[in-house]
This record gives sequence, structure tokens and C-alpha cells, in this order.
Amino acid sequence: MLALFVAIYQELIVDIRRPGAVIAASLFLAAGCSTAGADEHASPSTSAPANAQASANPTVQIGASHCGEGWTNPQAGPQIIMVTNTGDVSSGVDLVDVPGGAVHAELEGLAPGVTRPLRVSLTQGTYAIRCDVDERDLIVGPSVTVVGNAPGGPATVPISDNDLFAPAQAYTEYVTGGLKTLRAKTEALTKAVDRGDLTAARRAWLPAHLAYESLGSAYGTFGDFDGEINGRPAGLPGGVHDKNFTGLHRVEYGLWHDESAKTLRPIADRLYQDVKALCDDFPDERLDPADLPLRAHEILENTLQFELSGRSDQGSGTTLATAAANLQGTRETLAVLRPLLQGRYPGLKQVDAHLDRVETLLAAQKHGDTWTPVDQLDHRVRKTINGAVGELLEELAPVAEILFPRRTQ
Amino acid sequence: MSGYNRRTFLAGALATGIAGAVARTAQAGADAGAPPVPPFHGPHQAGILNPARRRTVVAAFDIVADGKAELTELFRTLTDRARSLTTGGVPPEPGITAPPADSGILGPNVPAGALTVTLGLGASLFDDRYGLASRKPAGLVQMPVFPNDDLDPAWCHGDLSLQLEADDDDTVLHAFRDLARHTRGAMQVRWRMNGFVSPPRPSGTPRNFMGFKDGISNPDTNDAAEMDRLVWVRDERPETAWTTGGSYVAFRLIRMLVEFWDRVGISEQEQMFGRTRDTGAPLDGAHEQDVPRYELDPAGKAIPITSHIRLANPRKPETDDSRILRRSFNYDRGVDDVGNLDVGLLFTSYQQDLHRQFEAVQMRLVDEPLVDYISPFGGGYFFVVPGVPDTSEFYLQSILI
Repeated sequence: MLALFVAIYQELIVDIRRPGAVIAASLFLAAGCSTAGADEHASPSTSAPANAQASANPTVQIGASHCGEGWTNPQAGPQIIMVTNTGDVSSGVDLVDVPGGAVHAELEGLAPGVTRPLRVSLTQGTYAIRCDVDERDLIVGPSVTVVGNAPGGPATVPISDNDLFAPAQAYTEYVTGGLKTLRAKTEALTKAVDRGDLTAARRAWLPAHLAYESLGSAYGTFGDFDGEINGRPAGLPGGVHDKNFTGLHRVEYGLWHDESAKTLRPIADRLYQDVKALCDDFPDERLDPADLPLRAHEILENTLQFELSGRSDQGSGTTLATAAANLQGTRETLAVLRPLLQGRYPGLKQVDAHLDRVETLLAAQKHGDTWTPVDQLDHRVRKTINGAVGELLEELAPVAEILFPRRTQ
Repeated sequence: MSGYNRRTFLAGALATGIAGAVARTAQAGADAGAPPVPPFHGPHQAGILNPARRRTVVAAFDIVADGKAELTELFRTLTDRARSLTTGGVPPEPGITAPPADSGILGPNVPAGALTVTLGLGASLFDDRYGLASRKPAGLVQMPVFPNDDLDPAWCHGDLSLQLEADDDDTVLHAFRDLARHTRGAMQVRWRMNGFVSPPRPSGTPRNFMGFKDGISNPDTNDAAEMDRLVWVRDERPETAWTTGGSYVAFRLIRMLVEFWDRVGISEQEQMFGRTRDTGAPLDGAHEQDVPRYELDPAGKAIPITSHIRLANPRKPETDDSRILRRSFNYDRGVDDVGNLDVGLLFTSYQQDLHRQFEAVQMRLVDEPLVDYISPFGGGYFFVVPGVPDTSEFYLQSILI
């Protein structure tokens, strides 16, 4: 299945984004201008409130037949373009610059007959409306020359699904390697439980758990295996005693709540079987390339919610170790996306600096094989970790927007 | 101990007649422009069909009354206090033998303040403690754990629920404090959540903390036939006929992970809800009240198949009788231990049949994309008893005496 997927990928890759295309380097600097522009919107030259002004906004058609028609006398500055789908199937719309193709504004999935506002700030230049009509090639409307003296807003050179195939392939290789580690570490854990050595099992638990937690962006691909191998008791009527509470956290619960080897043996064996099944299954699964940009922040969103809060803890007190493993998964995700982000995301350097900062903060809580439980952290240290992760998350969130796969041909 | 407690809540019962003499209309509609609240007496309780007021307290209680006689006194007291509080008036003067009868936080002449008190009963009340098992409303069960829940037992269920609504925080708190004071020996608070309805921004249905208008599509509360079909219970079996005129309420305490949500692009947000954030219009429409036309969009190109509005109400003939009457509030209870806002939705829905309606909707929503950004952590199911018809009766009179 993966082989087939690669073959498709090679076929589609022919006409991807031109490497030399104009890059909107000032993406977030420009965002500042956009805010200023929003105020200008209410300035005397365009004084009416947005609602009353609606009639003054151009209404531009999208659809297969009249894409971009109606955009007349365009002026620089912040503006609202009313977009109407005059076709008979649903359509998306992008406002792009010509000839660079950077996207300044977009709307997805306008149903036939629907009119929606496209809000954008444009500086003088040449632009076009591009229609993404359902099941048709992209249609680019007439080029329009914007005149006037006003700053424009941010734009991004779009990437396509094709652009994400290589990162997805690289990430798949990372996961494949990580699954081998997971299998070996889980086997060690299971063997310790099987021979009744629960002290050794407690030592073996964390390496197995961290092997899983560092896989990062792949969880969506694991399907039901994720819940079976690493699920929490939340949502189960019987809580920690529910028969569907299985996997690493179930073993953790038992190891740190004085359960006997006899009780834990079938649970650990089942875990090992599930891990083996995942390892066998994964080569047949396709990691959705479009997931990767989302995972850039989503992995650490879960870290904040479940690990830094301590909520996922079932007794081992190692959620900061989990956080460090999640950070590793995030780093790997960014590593495979880096070629696409460079030149598109000016915040990347800051992201790198803050990844390092979080890593250092977490590493300081590792003491040999043990970690400080999150509820025993010094108050200020805990706030510092929360703050650093929160700030990093704010900086990672734009990755999902910039690398949202868009049609480019 | 029991005797003392009993005396305490009986004292409340004695105090009520005085305040009850003040005319109800005098202080109704304190909020200019908002319709007056329904009267306390009637076939149904107030606080169900009327538009939600600006503030609420929802609380669940464990009943600790010692035997059926005390339980009966509890409902007598609750009736008297609710009648009195929703009417307003000057509290009785206790003289030199007791502390003041009223907390005084609303001043010497207590305004009704558009207060409504809505009382419900949990399934656990109908166990063997009070001999009420055979009287259990036919559709009353304990709220189950749904697949995306993360329930905290301390915030779930209860023997009895009270929802207090008014336009001001002090009005609902005053009422809550009064009701708790008069019933201490017979019931104890299990959990309590304050909520509020935001003003329209800029118009139409109020917004939730995700920035989206919430509760746009609701059954028509002015359509009596529709209410009989979707909200009110009708039961002709002798043991449970007393439930006729009541309704079932589902309270759900739903944390919203607003920091995470704020880090999601607007297009993805709108696709998750199926509506535009600015106007509340469905993604195939222009205005908040536009009805989505799913039949023209079978593949979900405009409104994704997995969007919240489409799953919750597919608008098909076969799902029409699963519609619910939503009456939700926002809640804000500070910050959590990672420094994120602890805010969300005090989801409230009324329905004739929890299984046919609320649970059907809930099961359609399992694993919807929105579940990553919310976390239901509490709530419960309650049977909202029929209204008290007049001053001679009290809640549950027909099954307690």
C-alpha cells in the first residue's frame, strides 16, 4: 500500500510549486500593517460602518463560467469583496497575486447561490480571483490592477498536497523506526511482568511509554490501536476498572497500585500483542500528509492538556518525561516540514529557540531514571514550563495555516 | 441532630406566607425590554420555555432527609421558598429571638428580579430510601458516560436539581443562599455551577466562548403542539401519571479548551461548526436563521457531513423527533493548573424523552471534529417536575401524601 502511495506521489509531483516562486517573506510583519489597516477602514474616506457599506463593496462572481467577473475599480487598502457563487456546484475562492500566486485571502466551499465576504488588505499590484470549482481544474479570473497608496496584508505562497508527500514519507520512516523501539521496549516490560519481577517492570515501563509518546504526528494513523495501547480511562463507564481500559496506562495503574503479577500478566501480554499488531499493520497505513502541519501544534496541545496538568498520570509521576517525548515528536514533525517552512514562516527561528528552551526546562526535571512529578514542581518552575510551552504553542499554530494544502494547479 | 435539622427547614416554611402576599407583577420584568417571566403557579414550571435570563445557578443536591415525612417537609419548604422568592416582598421580622430571616443582600424589600426556580429529581431519589421506587418517571436514568466524556464524579448526578435564573448575579445567589439555608438538614449541595448568557454580539443569538452563536436552531416555544411533542411528558400509567406536565433536563458541564481553539484557523473552525463565525449563518446561507439545505449538498462540500450542526440536527423526517430545546449558558470558573482559562458551556436541554432526543443527538456527535476542543466533565439527568398549580399545593404533593 505504501509502495502504491509512493508511486502516485511521484506521478503527481511533476508540476508542484516552482522552487523559485516569489515568497512572501514578510508574512507576520505584514500582519501588523493589516491591523493598522483595519482602523483605516473606518477613516473618513470610507467612513460608513461595515454594514451600511456592504452595497459599496464589489460583488465578484465565482464559478466555472464567470470566475472573477465584477471586480472593478479596485483600490489599495483594507476591503471587503463580496463573492457570489453563480455556478451550479460548490466552489472555493482564492485571491492571488499575479504572477507570483501568493494567496492573500480564501474561502472554502461556497454553495451555489451563496454570497460571502472576502476580507483582505491589498497594496498596489496585480491580482486575480482564482476559483476552485468542485471537480474542475483551477480557473484563474482576469488580472486586476489595484491602484492607490496603502499597505497590503499578509500572503503566503501556497503549498499543495504533493508538497507534503515527501515530508509524510520521511515522517513515516521515523515512525517505522520508532515502532521497532516501541516493540523492543514493550517486550522487555512484558517479560518482566511475566516473570513476576515488578520492580524490573516498573523500570521498564517508562522506556516503553516514551517510545510510544515520541511518535508524535502518527497517532491519527494508528486508528483504534492508539486507544488500545495508550488510552486513558476517560469516557469508560468503569473508569480504571473498565475492561476496555487497556495498554500502557493500564499497566502503569497496576504497577503503581500494588496489583499482582498475576493480575497484570494478561494486561501486559495484551499490550504486547497490540503493539505487535500495530507494527505489522503500520506499513499498510497511510499517514495523511495533510495531518503533519496540524500536528506541529496539536502534539503539544495534548501535552499541555494531559501531561503538564498531570491528568494522564496513573501513578508513575512521569508526565514530564512524556512531555519531553512529545517535544521530540514535535521536533521531528518540524524537521520534515522545514523545507516548506523556510521562507514561508519568519517565526521559525523563534520556534527553534523556544523548542530548545522547553527541552532544557524539562530536562532539568530528570534525575537519572526518575522525573519530578508535575505536582511536586517548584511553583515558579511549573509556571515557567507552562508559560514556555504556551508561548511555543502560539508560535506553532501558524504552521497549520501556512502549510494548509491548497490546490496550486 | 435530625430534630434540629428538621426544625431549621420548617422555620423557613413558616416564614413564607408573609412575603407571599406581595403582588407578583410589581417587580417582574426588571430588565427593560426582556419579557416578564412566567408566574410560579401553573401546569408547568417556569424557567423552561421562557427565554433564558442573563444569569443562572445550576446546582445538584444529595437528599439527606430522614424518612419520608422529612422528605415531604423538604418539598413543602422548597415550594414555599420558591413561591416566596419568585414573588419578592419584605422578609418577616424575626424579633429579638433569632438572627434576620433574610441575608439582606437584595435590600430590605426583596425584589423578585425576574427570578425563576426550576426543580428536578435525579434517578437516585427513587431508590429504596423513601419508598418512591414505583413512582420513578418512566424515562429517568442516571446520565451515562459518553465516549468523549472525561467525567469527574464530584460534578455529576444528584438526587435533586435546582436551576435558578434571573437577570443579576446577586438575585440568583440570594435565592440559592435562601434555599440552602432553609433546607440544610434535608439536602446538601453536591455541585454548583454559575452561568450567564452573553448579550447578542452584535445581534441575534448569543455567542459561546468559541466565538460562535450557540442555540440558533431551537424548537418554537410558542408552538404548543411542538412543545407537547418535544418537551412535555405525558404519562397515563397510574403509578407515573403524576409526571404529566413535567419534562426531562440534561445538564452537561462542558469545558471549552479556548486556548487551543484560538490556535485553530477560522476556516477549520467554521467547518467544524458548519456556520460562519461572524454572522452565525450556515455555510450555505447568508443569515443566522437561514435553514441549511443539506439535500442540495449531499457530499458536504459546503457544510461538511461531520460538522456539528449537521450531525446534531440532520433535518430529516426521521430525526425530527430527536430535536431538543436548548437553553445553554456560558460558565467561567477561573483558571486550571496549567494556567488555561477554565471556561465553557453549562449546556442545558429540555426534552420529552432523554433517550429518544438528547442521547440520540449525543450519539450522532460522538467523535465529531469538535471533541478535541471540548471536554465534558460533569452534569446529570433530572426529571423536571410538573408545575405547582396554586397556593394550596406543593411540589410532588400527589406522590408524597
